[in-house]
Amino acid sequence: MTEPIDERLRSELQQHGVWVTSMQELYNWGRKNSIWPLQFGLACCAIEMIATAASRYDIARFGGEIFRPSPRQADLMIVAGTVTKKMAPQIVRLYNQMADPKYVIAMGACAISGGPFKQGYNVLKGIDRYIPVDVYIPGCPPRPEALLHAFMELQRKIDSQKLSGADKAEHLKPEQPSEFPVPLFGEHDLESSANPGVFHPPEIERA
Amino acid sequence: MTPNPYLFIVIFVGVALVFPLIPLALAWLWRRFFQPPKPGPDKTSIYECGVESVGDAHIQFHSQYYLYAIIFLVFDVEAIFLVPFAVAFTGLPIGAFIAILVFLLLLVEGLVWAWGKGCLDWEH
Amino acid sequence: MESLEQIKARAERAVSGAQIAIVPNPGPAQQSSLLIDNEHAFAVARFLRDDPTLRLDFCSNVTGVDWLDRVVKKTVKMKRLVDGEEKEVDETTEEKIPGYLEAVYHLYSMTHKHGPVIIRIRTRDRGDGARLPSLTTIWRSAEFQEREIFDLYGVRFDGHPDLRRILMWDEFVDYPMRKDYREPDDYEWEPTPHDEVLEKAKRHYTQRPELDGAEKITAGGDALNR
Repeated sequence: MTEPIDERLRSELQQHGVWVTSMQELYNWGRKNSIWPLQFGLACCAIEMIATAASRYDIARFGGEIFRPSPRQADLMIVAGTVTKKMAPQIVRLYNQMADPKYVIAMGACAISGGPFKQGYNVLKGIDRYIPVDVYIPGCPPRPEALLHAFMELQRKIDSQKLSGADKAEHLKPEQPSEFPVPLFGEHDLESSANPGVFHPPEIERA
Repeated sequence: MTPNPYLFIVIFVGVALVFPLIPLALAWLWRRFFQPPKPGPDKTSIYECGVESVGDAHIQFHSQYYLYAIIFLVFDVEAIFLVPFAVAFTGLPIGAFIAILVFLLLLVEGLVWAWGKGCLDWEH
Repeated sequence: MESLEQIKARAERAVSGAQIAIVPNPGPAQQSSLLIDNEHAFAVARFLRDDPTLRLDFCSNVTGVDWLDRVVKKTVKMKRLVDGEEKEVDETTEEKIPGYLEAVYHLYSMTHKHGPVIIRIRTRDRGDGARLPSLTTIWRSAEFQEREIFDLYGVRFDGHPDLRRILMWDEFVDYPMRKDYREPDDYEWEPTPHDEVLEKAKRHYTQRPELDGAEKITAGGDALNR
């Protein structure tokens, strides 16, 4: 909110036993070290997610061990696995029911784009058609290390979020929506097949 | 001069009130100045694992569930009383034995009644 | 286990009026199957389950097959008079076979430990006549799989206890495993499209705008020689 503190002054103060911080740093430090994921898995990627939460990979080292069974208490949605078109409205509704600030990790090829089932009739071609995704992890399924890496990327992202100003974090802007329209079951497909406010596929020009 | 012995209780009550109120007040201030609340029809709706909720969350249990209460009494409370009775069985006088028999009889009566009513049948 | 011919003969004797045909499978699996007419399919299925030497009490798999309308060409050598001379001429006859849907049941016996015996039943056509008798009351395990065939192929099973869609949502009207199914066009850009995906992608490519001709200069042209 004010001028950032001079780094040299800060380190000098630290040498004398005075620790200086800002509201923003304190807020982000607290948030990034207690990201609680929503406890749900969709397909085989969920097994890797479970392995990440178990003792060998131990996501608890990063403060993410508390998998919450209710979206009201969760900060992070790990979309771990294939999202079928029948499941997509439920995922979007769960996302809508999460309290702000909320983040999404799309784990695995299916959650990113539909993966090997992309040309099928029943698989959603990426969860980013309906909800904004913060970190994408490629892989089929990704290793637990990849999920940990995505988790650390997310922590870095949270750490860089501003508390004030024009480029402050999305959840602090009053005009930024907190929920997105839930797709409806249509006669041939989900209606609508993507949310144009969220989904920006790359356009390519070819002769 | 010694302080009033009840003074500590007053201090405890004060701490018990202030301690939870400080984070609540901080959260309120935070919401007031930084984070705008964003309620919505989906966000405030009942959580049903992502499925659209059907009906109200507050349902009234039918009074006919008393059958389950009786069966609970018969099988659960009986075990609680029988285990200490069995442990102390050899040192008990004859009067205690008769007393527990009366107690068992009362519960068995309930079981027979429930059986006769047909609530032990699988397909009901 | 008996051969398919023996099973066919005994089944036809046990169920009067049943018309059973053997559908040969020349592939490596060599699994030929019995084609049963719709009217007697239920009785024949019950015979297959209850017959003491067969006792096919386990239906492991039910699946659907979609056969489109097809034309079979047959070439026959015939003698015919051409210009007053008798010559051998190839005569081609075309036979139109209307499309139909098929349900295939794979049966095993748990008591005798033999199998599989494969039976097929066919619908009259691919439209309103896409109806088959349900064999759920004979093999309980067929219930969900017949629902699946109904969901994905649109075959209505008469006598099924709970015929609803099982994989797709109830509002869905198409039958996605039929060969003439066209999926909704929710295309998005792909880096390496090929085959049908490429054809689909081409419909979505935006035309490159015409520039001033500079894009036509290639490295092998005049630019290098000068």
